[in-house]
Amino acid sequence: MQRSVLDQKWAGYVVAAVSVGALTLLLKIVGAHINAATVSLALLLNVLFIATRWGSLPALLASIVAMLCFNFFFLPPFSTFTIAATDNWIALLAFLITAVTAGQLSARAKRRAEEAEAGRHEIERLYAELRDAFERASHAEALRQSEKLKSALLDAVTHDLRTPLTSIKASVTTLLDEVRGRVDGEPPAGLDAESRVEMMEVIDEESDRLSRFINGLIELARIEAGELQLRRSWGAVDEIISAALSRAESITRNHRVELEVAKELPGVRVDERAVSEVVYTLVENAAKYSPKGSTIRITARRARDELIEMGVEDEGPGIQIDLRERVFDKFFRATRDGDVRSTQPAGTGMGLAIAKGLVEAHEGRIWIESGRNGKGTRVQFTLPTGDGDVIEERRYSAAAVETQ
Amino acid sequence: MTNQARILVVDDEPQLTRVLRTGLKSRGYDVRAAADGLAGFEAFNDWHPDLVITDLAMPNVDGLELCRRLRAVSQVPIIVLSAKGEEKTKVEALDLGADDYVTKPFGIDELLARIRASLRRANAPAATEAMQTTLHSGDFHVDLDTRQITVRGKSIHLTPKEFDLLVYFIKHSGKVLTHRTLLAALWGGNYVEQNEYLRVFVGNLRKKIETDAASPRYILTEPWIGYRFDSGEP
Repeated sequence: MQRSVLDQKWAGYVVAAVSVGALTLLLKIVGAHINAATVSLALLLNVLFIATRWGSLPALLASIVAMLCFNFFFLPPFSTFTIAATDNWIALLAFLITAVTAGQLSARAKRRAEEAEAGRHEIERLYAELRDAFERASHAEALRQSEKLKSALLDAVTHDLRTPLTSIKASVTTLLDEVRGRVDGEPPAGLDAESRVEMMEVIDEESDRLSRFINGLIELARIEAGELQLRRSWGAVDEIISAALSRAESITRNHRVELEVAKELPGVRVDERAVSEVVYTLVENAAKYSPKGSTIRITARRARDELIEMGVEDEGPGIQIDLRERVFDKFFRATRDGDVRSTQPAGTGMGLAIAKGLVEAHEGRIWIESGRNGKGTRVQFTLPTGDGDVIEERRYSAAAVETQ
Repeated sequence: MTNQARILVVDDEPQLTRVLRTGLKSRGYDVRAAADGLAGFEAFNDWHPDLVITDLAMPNVDGLELCRRLRAVSQVPIIVLSAKGEEKTKVEALDLGADDYVTKPFGIDELLARIRASLRRANAPAATEAMQTTLHSGDFHVDLDTRQITVRGKSIHLTPKEFDLLVYFIKHSGKVLTHRTLLAALWGGNYVEQNEYLRVFVGNLRKKIETDAASPRYILTEPWIGYRFDSGEP
């Protein structure tokens, strides 16, 4: 706020002197028929005004000047500063008391106002500070949460990289020891041919596992970054399923595989490779988490007009209801993280996350149910048939024909 | 030639137990494997192995709980398989009584060396400890009655606490000792968080016994965990 000239301290004194002078002149001009009481009230009003606006000292000056003017111009004997009557002394005293009291009162009010203003400023400052601190804190909290998530993911990834690496390293060093011969204080490793093959098998399998894990990471990163490029084309559901099954042949060797595919299913406009990958992942999981000799059932049927529903069902231990959403989270494994007892090697925790990403990229949905008679696991997913697209395309080609 | 010693491997990773079983068997050890702490504890009670190798993160009963349960009933040497980043759990396992640890991924030689050291310690005669008045280990000779110590044939002068610390080290030669274990053994339970105490005493002790205190060969630092004493025994 800018201070005007009138806010200056000296301005009060000038205004006090000038205003009283001017008022006196005005009263003198208006005439002698105004009585002394009116004049004194007018001058008192002026003193009050000065007091409220500039405080007690300018008001004091105003009251003295007013008293002198009053005395000189309006009190007999006129044109002298002599005061004859006692009541005129009282008038002078009234001027002084009014000036000082009003000045004090206005000064106090002003101080109060200033204090209130300062208080308001302080509250505003505290509020801003508090808000900033809160914002900083919530920002830090968000950062902390995201850091926590990142470190959890990092833990999961490093664990999955290190586990196969540990088996590989232990196998290789065992084989190396034998080749190099005797190690200090230890009898030479007596590996028979069978053990040697076993070590090498472990190395082979674990390298594949590492490779699968890394491929999964890349696929997952692609889905998460929204860089999944679906190559849609018209395909048949049964062909997609048989492609996945022939790929899964070695892992389903110890299971019975049953197909329940509805007749006369419409064609689907999908990325066949991606959907086949989803089916493969589900079949692989079913084989991994259900006993040998049990049945894996693959179903496909028309759910609604433009929706195909597919499912893979096993006769394994099933997945607890509270874990049925979480198994689609990346790196979540029901066998490890959900404490399900299993002698099977844990998966990468990425298969279902990728499957979900692929299904959703096709505007489909994937979920888990209990199998038949409430036993085992059934993973279901839907795919739009793409009939809507056909109509669109036909319309488009019709329009194209018309314009020709 | 066979070692005959019986080793129980507890790990939920079937490929690793497969490798360890074959690798250790080829060295003449008798090996059994269990997939989790619960099965491991059952196998222990059943089979009474001479040494237990256990992973830390396992379903059902984890490695820590297994250490706790084993220590409640036995002094069998325990080697923990841990990963970098699991330091806290590793220290906890050592505090619970595990004897040593190997960090994944490891070479079979490293594991074999730890197995040998742990078995040797376990087989060392300890029955006469109460009667024992002298200690001999590697470069160290200790007369417990007169509290005199010679290192490499030279007599050294130690303060009473330094003497106690060195004797504790010698008695647990080769074993990883956590800060907590050492503090509790030397100063009592109220001092287990006072790592700086220990650092000062170890520093002083190194100046008196090491040929080069800057690169110690007797009192070895196990980063974030504690110390391991190597008496120089061949």
